[in-house]
Amino acid sequence: MRRVLAQVHKELIQITRDWRTLALALVLPLVLLLLLSTAISLTVNDLPMVVQDFDDSPASHDFIDAFRNSLTFNVVSWPTSKQADQALVSNKARAVLIIPEHFSRDLARGAATQVQLLVDASDANTAKLTSGYAGRITQAYNTNINPSANTPPVQTAIRLWFNPGLSSKKFYGPGVFVLGLSMFPPLLAALAMAKEGEQKTILQVYVSSISAFEFMLGKVMAFMAVALAECVLMLILLFTYFGLTFVADPSPFLVSTVLYAFCVASFGVMVGSRIPSQAGALQAVAFGGFLLVFLLSGLLFPIENIPAGLRWLSNFVWGRYYIEIVRDALLQGGGWPALWLNVVIIGAIGSVFFIIGWRGMRRMQLKV
Amino acid sequence: MKKLFQKLFDQRMRALVLKEFRQIRHDRRLAISLILPPILQLMLFGFALSATVTNVRLGIVDDSKTPESRELIAVLTESKSFTLAGYYASVNDLGDAVAQGKIVAGAVIPYDYARDLNRGRPTTVQFLLNAIDANRATISRGYAEGVIQSYAAGLRSQGIHATVQTVSAAGDLGRRGQVQLTSAFLYNPGLVDSWFIATGVFGLLLLLNSSLISAAAMSREREAGTIEQLLMSPATTSEIIIAKIVPLFVLLNMMMFLALGVLKVVFHIPFHGSLPLVVAGGALCILSGISLGTVLATFSKSALQAQLTGFFINPPLNSLSGALNPIEAMPHWLQPFTVPNPIHHFATVVRASMLKGSGITTLWPNFLGLLLFTLALVTLSVWRFRKQLS
Repeated sequence: MRRVLAQVHKELIQITRDWRTLALALVLPLVLLLLLSTAISLTVNDLPMVVQDFDDSPASHDFIDAFRNSLTFNVVSWPTSKQADQALVSNKARAVLIIPEHFSRDLARGAATQVQLLVDASDANTAKLTSGYAGRITQAYNTNINPSANTPPVQTAIRLWFNPGLSSKKFYGPGVFVLGLSMFPPLLAALAMAKEGEQKTILQVYVSSISAFEFMLGKVMAFMAVALAECVLMLILLFTYFGLTFVADPSPFLVSTVLYAFCVASFGVMVGSRIPSQAGALQAVAFGGFLLVFLLSGLLFPIENIPAGLRWLSNFVWGRYYIEIVRDALLQGGGWPALWLNVVIIGAIGSVFFIIGWRGMRRMQLKV
Repeated sequence: MKKLFQKLFDQRMRALVLKEFRQIRHDRRLAISLILPPILQLMLFGFALSATVTNVRLGIVDDSKTPESRELIAVLTESKSFTLAGYYASVNDLGDAVAQGKIVAGAVIPYDYARDLNRGRPTTVQFLLNAIDANRATISRGYAEGVIQSYAAGLRSQGIHATVQTVSAAGDLGRRGQVQLTSAFLYNPGLVDSWFIATGVFGLLLLLNSSLISAAAMSREREAGTIEQLLMSPATTSEIIIAKIVPLFVLLNMMMFLALGVLKVVFHIPFHGSLPLVVAGGALCILSGISLGTVLATFSKSALQAQLTGFFINPPLNSLSGALNPIEAMPHWLQPFTVPNPIHHFATVVRASMLKGSGITTLWPNFLGLLLFTLALVTLSVWRFRKQLS
């Protein structure tokens, strides 16, 4: 044990020696958390919209005001002499509302009036949201001008749970937290391990009295410490700026965080022991730690949206299980019954990484 | 001008360029990284990132247990939007299932549902939505409302529920008309998500791969210590710089055409606008990527360090580009930061030109932005490189 602790100590000294690695481990995750989770949002506000009003009556002005008053749309002016869809082509607007002649006449007669909304669908998701919002505004306008009209036989009462303000920051914050943990500690671990192989300092380890297992354990524990320090810093940010708290018993989160730190540190050491070149190890971690976790763990969009041909891959992505735990602890509050399997899987994947890394170490020994 | 051309094609220049090409050819990793990552990234991002909300797992508490309520459940679950994930005995069980993530949405049909319906009284179905994913919640809320609305409209027109009809007939007298909004989805009528994502990732990978590859290529000479040999040769510093940039630029442009092919063949993205416009924008993007990589390389001692420094530059460039999500969705104070970002301008050019068929008359501000940024970066990189050489 004393030898393991000495190894941890040596490793931590090496990390703190280079300002780049230190900043990479502790500052960059915070910047990333702030930037990514504020910048990645899909719910739009103030969408520029052009209105073409061919009726120009009090009724049509009322209708336009309903759009003007909404947070979603921002009515911008557009000369009537120009084609409406030119506003979309030139990126001046994302939607065009066209009110036909006889709008107010038809309304007064009690007939149905068709109003057209042209939506720029080059961004499909925003287009769907836009058309949904516009539909709701129209509906509200209809009930407003017809308070006496009978209500539909079936109505919906929708309750939004866990995030009633629909703040996307609260959703992406925990996700980017996991991304940061999956990226930087294994990156440093892999670089440190590959460096031993590249510069042949591994030879010194072999002639010392430390065993391969103890050496591995020392490395993993050092980078677990880095991961946990990073985790504490990011949690502080999540609790303050993002306004999140533990909504239920935090014990599954705490247990799985330690296991996840073990998992990512082992992943890094494993990569470093298998790829004895720092540039190669860096690319492998960028792929495994960043690309897989970013794309296949449900960070941005639900996993069910990934086509089936790719979706099975996400079962092997360790970040996926941890994201569920973090979101549950900070937003949902399902607790142990919902999460025990995830905790077990994270531990299992971490152990597999550790064993592969250990075997890789022994192979390295034979090669040198 | 004539002098410049003469310089570009003189013997020494040709030899230098040839030397760089040969060096790149010997580096197998570089050749692989020109082909594999762009294709892999485009495909992975394009396929894996889809915001389309389908098959939302719906749990149901049916307190009514009547033919009417079962009809409603059938209507809710026959669409692609919701899949039936199970029945629950009570609202509490349903709430627990939502909290544990077994279901995403829950519907509660009240015990007096059928009775109210037959008497012509409005009845309310409650929906619980797990809203931690704001986007999914907004869209599935729309689905739920849409399904119920069309179901209610169907009930009225069926005439089975006689009372409902009479009430609505009586109300018609003093009633004003309804506004019916029809949405037309232009440029992407099938609402394919990958058209947005893939065109954004296109710019990302052009800039990032260019900067990565050029950073590696620029620092190689210094790492190997051969930079002194180059300096001792009769070549001037500007010749060395141009000879370094030209081969990379050519190869990265080939990568761009490869990526364009993937966009066309794999994602079936239409090319409504002019291809030269997109290619010109892409070339500018590559040039700014190369310059960025060169600047990074001059600040670091090895290729590895340059790559690590890249970690501080690239994430902000990516997240503030609007490549993966609309800029309008960013907070207002963050939006101005997208202006000096080449990826943002290129993504705008690609999307507008390919999908909408916009021309240079509407896209010139973005081109200007791209051009200015590229010029600034090229100047900076040449200045840094010269300083380093001397």
